[in-house]
Amino acid sequence: MKRKTAGNIYTVLVFIFLYMPIAVLILFSFNSSSSTGRFDGFSLRWYKELFSDAATLEALKNTLILAVLSAAIATVIGTLAAYGINKIKNKHLKNGITSVTNVPMMNPEIVTGISMMLLFVFVGGLVNSKTVLGFGTVLIAHVTFNLPYVILSVMPKFKQMDKHLPEAALDLGCTPVQSFLKVELPQILPGIISGFIMAFTLSLDDFVISYFTVGSGFETLPIRIYSMTKKRVTPDMYALSTLIFVAILVLLILSNISGDKEKKTLTLKQKKRRKIVLVSTFSVIAAITLGLFIGTSFAEVVTVNVYNWGEYISDGSEDEDGVASVDTNKEFEKYYSEYLSEQYGRKVKVKVNYTTYASNEDLYAKLKAGAGGYDVIIPSDYMIERLIKEELIQPIASREEITNVIKNYDYLLRAPSEGKTLTKEEAEIFQKPFYDNGDDVYSVMYTYGVIGIVYNADHVSEEDIGGWDLLWNEKYSGKILQFNNARDAFGTAMYKLGVNVNDPTAEQWQACLNELIKQKPIVQSYVMDEVFNKMESGEAWIAPYYVGDALSMIYQAEQRGINLDFYYPTDENGETVTNVFADAMCIPVDVSEEQKTHAIAYIDFMLSVDEKYGAPAIANAEYIYYASPNRLVYTNPDYLATLDGDEEIIYEPMSNINELFDKYAYRNLSSQNLSTLNSNWEALKVESSSFNGTIYVISAIIAAAIIGYIVFITVRKRHRRKLYWEQSPTVGTKKSSSDSSADSLSDTVTIAIKRSKSKKD
Amino acid sequence: MNEKKIIELKSVAKSFDGEIILDNIDLDVYEKEFITLLGPSGCGKTTTLRIIAGFVTPDNGDVMFDGVKINDVPPYKRSVNTVFQKYALFPHLNVYENIAFALRLNKVSEEEIYERVEEMLAMVNLRGFEKRDVNLLSGGQQQRVAIARALINKPRVLLLDEPLGALDLKLRKDMQNELKNIQRRTGITFIYVTHDQEEALSMSDTVVVMANGKIQQIGSPTDIYNEPQNAFVADFIGESNIIDGVMLDDYRVKFSGQEFKCLDKGFAKNEAIDAVIRPEDVDVVEPEKGMLCGIVDSVTFKGVHYEIIVTINNFKWMIQSTDYVAPSQKIGLYIEPDAIHIMKKSEFSDMFGDYSSFSDELEHLSDITEEEEERE
Repeated sequence: MKRKTAGNIYTVLVFIFLYMPIAVLILFSFNSSSSTGRFDGFSLRWYKELFSDAATLEALKNTLILAVLSAAIATVIGTLAAYGINKIKNKHLKNGITSVTNVPMMNPEIVTGISMMLLFVFVGGLVNSKTVLGFGTVLIAHVTFNLPYVILSVMPKFKQMDKHLPEAALDLGCTPVQSFLKVELPQILPGIISGFIMAFTLSLDDFVISYFTVGSGFETLPIRIYSMTKKRVTPDMYALSTLIFVAILVLLILSNISGDKEKKTLTLKQKKRRKIVLVSTFSVIAAITLGLFIGTSFAEVVTVNVYNWGEYISDGSEDEDGVASVDTNKEFEKYYSEYLSEQYGRKVKVKVNYTTYASNEDLYAKLKAGAGGYDVIIPSDYMIERLIKEELIQPIASREEITNVIKNYDYLLRAPSEGKTLTKEEAEIFQKPFYDNGDDVYSVMYTYGVIGIVYNADHVSEEDIGGWDLLWNEKYSGKILQFNNARDAFGTAMYKLGVNVNDPTAEQWQACLNELIKQKPIVQSYVMDEVFNKMESGEAWIAPYYVGDALSMIYQAEQRGINLDFYYPTDENGETVTNVFADAMCIPVDVSEEQKTHAIAYIDFMLSVDEKYGAPAIANAEYIYYASPNRLVYTNPDYLATLDGDEEIIYEPMSNINELFDKYAYRNLSSQNLSTLNSNWEALKVESSSFNGTIYVISAIIAAAIIGYIVFITVRKRHRRKLYWEQSPTVGTKKSSSDSSADSLSDTVTIAIKRSKSKKD
Repeated sequence: MNEKKIIELKSVAKSFDGEIILDNIDLDVYEKEFITLLGPSGCGKTTTLRIIAGFVTPDNGDVMFDGVKINDVPPYKRSVNTVFQKYALFPHLNVYENIAFALRLNKVSEEEIYERVEEMLAMVNLRGFEKRDVNLLSGGQQQRVAIARALINKPRVLLLDEPLGALDLKLRKDMQNELKNIQRRTGITFIYVTHDQEEALSMSDTVVVMANGKIQQIGSPTDIYNEPQNAFVADFIGESNIIDGVMLDDYRVKFSGQEFKCLDKGFAKNEAIDAVIRPEDVDVVEPEKGMLCGIVDSVTFKGVHYEIIVTINNFKWMIQSTDYVAPSQKIGLYIEPDAIHIMKKSEFSDMFGDYSSFSDELEHLSDITEEEEERE
């Protein structure tokens, strides 16, 4: 009785452990506020928002189409493959092929993904196509990784099937094809269905492989969610995840029902009912997919492929008060279709294919690999420098021509600060930033921002703030957060020590490393996105972060009664010393002349404040909460009113932006500096701590225990075998099907000979 | 019995992975005949059946059906149907649909299908089972469904591959009778494969004894039992004492140091032979009245008779007698001339017949399922 109770408790604990995260996710998908820490009441708001988020729905649709198609294709191919493998007579060949088909399952996804991308780009190169990556390639990739799972679930059904069934069918007059359709197929159908469902779910949530093989203009849901990391994941994603979880759950239950574990005890009636359920589910899925296909198959005349950071454009979602923002991509489609229709004198439809990435390095990898097809990309400063150098982006226009090409270009102007007239050069800093100041214009600035320090005003005293040394203040040991990326983390040390962030000497590198090692014991953890929760909940008190996100953190914390504040670190002279970054719109080098005109129209539109089309530049600035370089934006009274005081923080750096760009912006590092940075970062990370040591010891103990156990088992087996293994005759020890008839015949003879011997005696 | 040949195998040979399974066999099957292929596991009987069905193509030789060569005719075009060892019923179809399967392929009208399926169900005593799930039937019922399914297309020849192997003894006896009745009523040629000699003797018109990929003897059950052609057949069919002997002259044979009268002739003078004496044909008599004398080793009660093992000249005889004798007792044996059957020496001589290590070993070995023989 006692044991039973303990067992029950254990079971419950396991279930809690497994399902707690999902329960929390489901709960918060019904939260009426966007808080991650507090449940403010039940609401369907995020579900509503989800269904008004066109880009996410588009991604969902893509994902579903991809999942159904890839699962269907993989099921057909996989079933035929299993049929073929099952027919192989040579045992070694059969086992060999089975193992080979299983390898891709064991293979890390990242390997599959990268190798697929390489193959596609390579083949694309052979046929001279730069835009080889796209729906087709993701589909091929998904079919490929789904195949082994289908084979794995169909093969056992073939093995279980009475192998005389196909013969019986032939015997009764079936041709081999009829035999497969009428007799074998019904037997393996449960395997096919569960294979299909498994493939469907795998394809549905695959991120890694999709990420590498997808091209422009196609975004799956996992990729979209992942790339939302520049800002943070919005609660409508909780709603979406909840829906996906429920859908998968239903599928899994169906797939279990379709398995034939209790088939024998079912009456024909029950079977029939189950068949109806299955058939109707599949027809619903098929109908939805078909509908989506028909919905998308209207030909678009003009398509603009935009590749941007996640959550980096005003996308029509609702804000805290339930007011919908402007969907700037939709507005562009409207505007440009009207414009082109007028130009061409016929109806033209415009479609923006908007996809997102998570880091400059991801974007670079895609471009470098030749995975083209993007018309507009929005990288950061140092990356633009690199792209220009490596000729991966093309000039938009010459500097004389640019204002004719981009009509709103002239508004990219710095505001004069009080009592100080700016030189032309100073005023045009946004037009001629350090990374793009040649004769040709390669980029049009989208936003810029600064890194500052967020701190908890309830715990951090006023006299400690102001500089970078707050991050090293031992008073707040264990409450300090640090960037979990090399460049930004080393940046904090460099700014603190007054080192040139773009070309430190060897001694300076060492000094920075020492500084960070010194800081390590008082750092709570190295974070990126986790910073939001840690700061908003009061778990940590001090963190360096980007201004837009910092403001959002402050707002969220306020809702939870936590008083956060923010400042830009200064040096002893009171001058701001911190990183400033800019993101700008560029056109990749492989964009054709015709596509380039569309790309330019898009870029120009993003600078526009035309009320008729929702004032896209203002809408974006309001949405992403970084500073806009556009004078039309930052002088707009309505915009300033919505910022409600935050404009002082957001636009503060503009007063000395030239100097900040000049001195503190990150440049493209030389390869030597880059490798020093990386090795130093590793050195910092492996810098021994008690935690790391414990982990090593525990891993070693576990490994030793496993090895010990294997040795023990082997030795015991050998010991047990020792007596009988060599002494017993081989008669009857082995009856494998391959040689048994020969054996039994020779056994007969052996025994008979023994007998005749005794007879002669 | 009709004398028209329906199936002829002409020096058919087959080997798998270099191992000879069938060694140039010749076999004629006549119309309306119940013919049984009998032999131990691995003798090639199932392979022979599968060659006739068309699942196995012979390496050599011809398969003739009604005098036409059918080597390359696929199974679904042969008017031959098979009852499989484990029935191979279609698990996704009910009893009615299983039986109707072949008719549906031929696009027969639903009315006719109904009529013929009902007729078949009546024949195999399964009326009222139409809607049953075949997976829920007993072994005997499944067997009947398999027979009905195979017969519905009115094949010229029905092949049965150990169809009763999985049934228990009582059911097997019933099914033997039923099968024989069905065969008589339908007049279809049955080719039956089994390793059970009793089954073969009681059901067949003709028995074909096979071993080592060769046909050892073809004949009626009585011929096979009474006139085995070699030591293998003698040993495999029933119990036999097979003794080395010498044919002194026509009707005179010498074994165990004694001379006996017999009914066989036509051997060379002093030719070495195998003499077969069935255990039930030996009379136990007083030692002084016996032609041979020996000491009883053991006695086992078998119900109808006692099984007595007696050692004479280092050879252990088996004798079946209704009279009890005690172990270690000295007894005499009396053998009538017509109890002695003389066989020429063969490759099987000296391999069988002595009961010194008598056990069920051989029985067990031949009970191994035919499964293993079927790999291709």
